[in-house]
Amino acid sequence: MHIPDGILPISVTASGYAATTAITWYSVHKINQKENPREDIPKAALLTAAFFVASLIHIPVPPTSVHLVLNGLLGVTLGYFAFPAILIGLFFQAVMFQHGGLTTLGINAVIMGLPALVCFYIFRLRNIAGKGERMTGAFGFLAGFGGVGVSAVLLLVILLTNIPAELDASVERTAIFTLTLAHVPLMAIEGAFTALMAVFLQRVRPEILVGA
Amino acid sequence: MNIGLDQYVYLASPLHRWEPRCKLIGLMALIFAFSFVGNLSILPAMLVVTAAVFAVSKLPVSFMLRRLRYPGFFILAVILILPFVSGSTVVLSMGPLDLRQEGLISVLSIAARFLSILTIGLVLFGTTPLLTTIKSMRALGLPSILADMAFLFFRYLFEISDELRRMETAMRLRGLSLRRFSIHGLRTLAWLGGSILVRSYERADSVYKAMILRGYGQAGRSQYDLRASSRDLIALGVILMVAGGFIAGDILV
Amino acid sequence: MATGAEQIDGPVLAVSGLCFSYPGVADVLQEVSLKVMPGERVGIIGPNGAGKTTFFLTISAVLKPSAGDIFVLGKQVLNGDFCPEVGLVFQNPDDQLFCPSVRDDVAFGPGNMGLSKDEVEARVTEALSAVGGLELADRPAHHLSEGEKRMVSIAGVLAMRPRLVLYDEPSANLDIRSRRRLIRLLQASKETILIASHDLELILEVCSRVLLIDEGRVIADGDPIEIMGDDELMEAHGQEKPHSLVPHPVPHQKHFR
Repeated sequence: MHIPDGILPISVTASGYAATTAITWYSVHKINQKENPREDIPKAALLTAAFFVASLIHIPVPPTSVHLVLNGLLGVTLGYFAFPAILIGLFFQAVMFQHGGLTTLGINAVIMGLPALVCFYIFRLRNIAGKGERMTGAFGFLAGFGGVGVSAVLLLVILLTNIPAELDASVERTAIFTLTLAHVPLMAIEGAFTALMAVFLQRVRPEILVGA
Repeated sequence: MNIGLDQYVYLASPLHRWEPRCKLIGLMALIFAFSFVGNLSILPAMLVVTAAVFAVSKLPVSFMLRRLRYPGFFILAVILILPFVSGSTVVLSMGPLDLRQEGLISVLSIAARFLSILTIGLVLFGTTPLLTTIKSMRALGLPSILADMAFLFFRYLFEISDELRRMETAMRLRGLSLRRFSIHGLRTLAWLGGSILVRSYERADSVYKAMILRGYGQAGRSQYDLRASSRDLIALGVILMVAGGFIAGDILV
Repeated sequence: MATGAEQIDGPVLAVSGLCFSYPGVADVLQEVSLKVMPGERVGIIGPNGAGKTTFFLTISAVLKPSAGDIFVLGKQVLNGDFCPEVGLVFQNPDDQLFCPSVRDDVAFGPGNMGLSKDEVEARVTEALSAVGGLELADRPAHHLSEGEKRMVSIAGVLAMRPRLVLYDEPSANLDIRSRRRLIRLLQASKETILIASHDLELILEVCSRVLLIDEGRVIADGDPIEIMGDDELMEAHGQEKPHSLVPHPVPHQKHFR
């Protein structure tokens, strides 16, 4: 879910842009530290497009169907390219489909991208835990569940604290808690799907999971 | 170049002719200024300016209405809920639900801002080809890593989505059901997603080879030919002053 | 096209003792040696996995050979060099057509060669005209048909004015009309060309010399009709005699040289 224009105050959207600029700068800096940064650009770009397309897959969840976010796995596979990738994806979504706002590009990127980076770091622990299928599946589930979970919490917190409604703190907290709970089934599906994808990738092309 | 959004980029209007970098800076500044506006008395001015800019762009109204539909749904939800939960001054009581004044006011601002920002956004991106927009961002300082990624992303998006469609068809012909939910079905779809990733990863290897074969990374990269005339800069100045005016107006009034 | 029209002394391509192995696959190329003179049109035939694509990637400096020397126009080619004198047309045009618009893609090569903006534009027009695709200049790359993509990817390579052009399975996936256009383009080219292809009829029509490669080695090198007409030789290496060379009671084929 991307926040559209018009709702958030400029203090939040401007901070979003500031944070995005900082994180992007950091990512680009880290990428340039590699031996041959250009070599990974096509990989990162094409994987971003692939994730974009993959997120359009309809998962039947009766009575309807859902689309997945997959930001956790994106963080895992793209590493330091993950944040720029998400920024680019969101830009195109905002411009081509009006999905997500222009003033909210920064804050939306932080909501989706920060958890992706966190999942990247956590998944690296797999190097210690072991790269067998069970471990990969477990970490995959964690990345999927956590990636979307953290994004959902961030989204709810930002929305509820900034919508001009004089709700007192405890009501807000309850609302955030309940709405997050309502998302848990979806988070579980993301976790399961990510775990299945991670195991598939481990079998077919394990290099993808190492993170650019 | 013609994709869905680019269908009206070849019209002739002052906005179409405006140099892309100036247009980007000017209209984005206006968009941010609009997002700042909360004062009820400033809202009409905002809508008038928006309408004026849209009229000058010669973009068809049907285009705008079509594009506003999808993001409009979320805003609609906010508009319908907020007047009942925000604020303490009750204006109308309908049984258990109280219509509150502060909520209604916020909703007006939200709706006006949303409409204005999206319309200006459509003017910005509907009067310049998307690729030119990215090139002007690059010229304005966007890191080449992001610009290169954006171009490649855009180029292969359609190929990959065609690939997905073909693979989905193939799977459906072998019994994949998109109606029931099952672990088996989920796994198949996960493998579908995984295959798309692997194929793209492997294609990227060839693309990289093709790029270095044609000199990617060599120093002699020719720069994009963007030149701003004095007319473009004056227009930029005017729009920036209008944007500033809205911010000042909102604070002072 | 101004390419290749100037006289050069000595071979355009001289390869000696070329060996290459991938990390998991040994001996993809074994002691390959050959010389190609200016203006020659050489067909390279052989089964899949014979090493044709790998060969092309080594002589264009993309892959590093494990042994052997490569000289292009008298200068040694080392892995990682940027050699616009050697052009490589990939088997899959989608891999090579990586810019969103045709114009940008054809301009990519010349743009990286340090040419002025006007020069780059001139090259784009020249290259697109040479392949008969000038009207495609402003199309998005994903709106092209297979044949058009093939032509544009060739234009992208020709825009760098290479002296030696390597074509990897150029007629794959083309319809009859596009294939014929390709053949005419190849026949009209003034560069030295190497064509790796399973389309033996195309090779017969275009090439003056044929190399048969199998398991990384050059098995035969010489006249197309002699080599491709040799049943035993062809079958021993996973090939079949092209239809044109099969004796016909009513001769109906023509050979173009």
